[in-house]
Amino acid sequence: MNPLVRVENLAMQFGAEPIFRGVTFDIEVGAHLAVLGPSGCGKSTLLRLLAGLDAPSEGAIDIGERQVSAPGKVLVPAHERTIAMVFQDLALWPNLTALDNVLLGMSQVQASRREKRLEARDALKACGLESFEARRPSSLSSGQQQRVALARVLAVRPKLLLLDEPFSGLDIALKAQLFSEIQQLASSHAVTLVLVTHDPLEATALCANALVIEQGSVCESGNLLGLLRQPTSATLRAFLQQLPTRRGVR
Amino acid sequence: MVSCAVLERPGTWRVIGITVGLLLAFAPAVPLLFAAGVQNGGGSMLGGNFGAALGRSFAVAAAVALLTVGIGLPTGVFAGLSDFPLRSFLLALLALPLLVPSFLWAIGISMLRTSSGMSATSFLSGYSGAVIAFVAVGLPLVFFVSLLSTRGISRGQADAARLAGGESNLFRHALRSVSPTAAVAGVLGGVLTLADPGPGQILGYNGAGFAILTSFAAQYDFGLAARQCLTLSALVIVIVLPVVVLLAPRFAASLLARDVAPLAPIRAPLTNWLAPVLLFSIIIFTVVLPAAGLIAPVLRDFPAARVAQEVRRTLPNTLVYAAAASGIATILGFALALIAGRERRLRAILLAAAVVLFALPSSFGALGILHAGTAAPATLDFLFRSKFAASAGLAMHCLPLAVIIAMRSIGTTSPSWANAAAVHGVPLRLYFGRILVPHLLPAMLLAALLCALIATADVSTILLLHPPGETSLPLAIFTVMANAPESLVGALCLAYLGGAAVLMCLAAALARFARDT
Repeated sequence: MNPLVRVENLAMQFGAEPIFRGVTFDIEVGAHLAVLGPSGCGKSTLLRLLAGLDAPSEGAIDIGERQVSAPGKVLVPAHERTIAMVFQDLALWPNLTALDNVLLGMSQVQASRREKRLEARDALKACGLESFEARRPSSLSSGQQQRVALARVLAVRPKLLLLDEPFSGLDIALKAQLFSEIQQLASSHAVTLVLVTHDPLEATALCANALVIEQGSVCESGNLLGLLRQPTSATLRAFLQQLPTRRGVR
Repeated sequence: MVSCAVLERPGTWRVIGITVGLLLAFAPAVPLLFAAGVQNGGGSMLGGNFGAALGRSFAVAAAVALLTVGIGLPTGVFAGLSDFPLRSFLLALLALPLLVPSFLWAIGISMLRTSSGMSATSFLSGYSGAVIAFVAVGLPLVFFVSLLSTRGISRGQADAARLAGGESNLFRHALRSVSPTAAVAGVLGGVLTLADPGPGQILGYNGAGFAILTSFAAQYDFGLAARQCLTLSALVIVIVLPVVVLLAPRFAASLLARDVAPLAPIRAPLTNWLAPVLLFSIIIFTVVLPAAGLIAPVLRDFPAARVAQEVRRTLPNTLVYAAAASGIATILGFALALIAGRERRLRAILLAAAVVLFALPSSFGALGILHAGTAAPATLDFLFRSKFAASAGLAMHCLPLAVIIAMRSIGTTSPSWANAAAVHGVPLRLYFGRILVPHLLPAMLLAALLCALIATADVSTILLLHPPGETSLPLAIFTVMANAPESLVGALCLAYLGGAAVLMCLAAALARFARDT
């Protein structure tokens, strides 16, 4: 059986400056993947390539049976890739209500207006927002805004959900609550997650697998807990060095 | 289906779009180059007195630049750092001279001189009179640029300056940080006076702008007017371009919204009364005294019927010119800003071109359109000899303001909005209709209102391009001011000021709405 996503020898550069090269990995259905690495290593760029927002400089991306990106080309546009994405700033459209944000996000869903409305309400309900559907994002709390963003992506029933550091800036209690809700929703909606983060703690909460990018290439990849036992990347080594301190505080 | 992601991607279409847009904006200069080759008679290339007129204009411009920066920079910074009673009201009053024709202020100063019994050689006439009239218009420009730049200082920067040396250190830090921007505004304010014929003519100190108008309207020498206009434009470009090229990237970046907490105002009790006193002193000089000059003859005699008749005759055209010009400028300005997007280089180029276009004499575009009209067949009169031509000429003059407001407004959108729309397959027209345009609408309305005010205040363009009999209210004032009774001129000026004040209040309310949403 083909993997859900196959990335082969992917490279990206802006102008003459290379961001990363030779990135190869597969994502199996249900095998949530964390993409880790220091700031500026190209994690978000990799996610944009998976989403079809940019074309790679080299290499190919397959989603399901189809090749979706080739060097310099987006072969399948973002909205035809059965993916969804939660952006770092959530990208909620500020002048629309929570319900309208979800409804407009369903532009490509083939259903009647009434059915779409029902689906959108269901998605909001699944995220615990049924009583906030008429509110605009600016009148919602950070946690509620995160949930609107989640409802918007769940309503389109994607196979792959890309999360671009959506938890930065949230307090630890809210993060924990959201992690548990996302895991539950991902399992109930059969969605595979790709989480971009620089915080291995977030990665361990949501993903079983990890890919660490450092200095323009994949430094290590595989089962996250296995990687944490014998880390070779500076990112994971630095994370482990912090752990005793945390225990000490406790 | 075109993906919304295209709005956030680089592409050659952006370069092509900006090139086409700027060519369109500068296109009227092309016929002007041809017109400059036309030689009537055997006079000198630029007319005998043009060099002296240029010298006078530069003397006024230099004084205006120095005075406006000297007064506008510290007061603007101080007002930007303070919160004081009647703030909105005083700021609105101070903005008034920016949005009305400069000759209105000169008329006010001239009438003030006569009503107070001063001689024709007093300081309210000649060189000093022209400087005073232009400073009244240029000072608010530097003041507001300084105030807005000060407001751009983040809370973190302000607190760091406070910790290092208290409120006085914060003031010094703000002054240093705002100085380059204020200096550019001062240079721009000075340059804008170079081609403005009104105040010099009224106060007896004619400069280059008046010489160009005379060559065209009194000597009927189009070639001479074109050469003089091109010479003046070249000098303007020589002054403005280096400054703009050096500073445009920085300004373009500062127009992108930053997510920073605004600075906390100075909480010293002194500012509660000092800031309003300072502002009110400037307002007395820039608004109250010229307005008092306009009111004095009206108090003696108010020709209500003549005023009503004149306003009725000119109001429809004034509104048509203003609406059409602001419509063209706003649509083109927002389109150009959208095309430039977030690309730093294109934003800097667009901003630099906008500032140069704003600094160029308004006769630069108008004379070009006029010359194209004389060469074009009669079937194209609707394009070159019509209200549309006049409106297009006005639009090119106020386009830079629309571009700057648009760049600022588009800078407040998040790139991920369009990317999210792309991932969800939202059609481009739906993205524009439901997300982008509603978000930009307050800024678009604000740009349209301000462009309408600036277009109406541009008398030179209307004077050169209006179809026979289709005059506007400011032009009617400009043409009757030498012969009509002072009371009529004063009353017409006040009627114009009243209308401008109402529109300005509307613009202020819109600006507040745009900021709050």
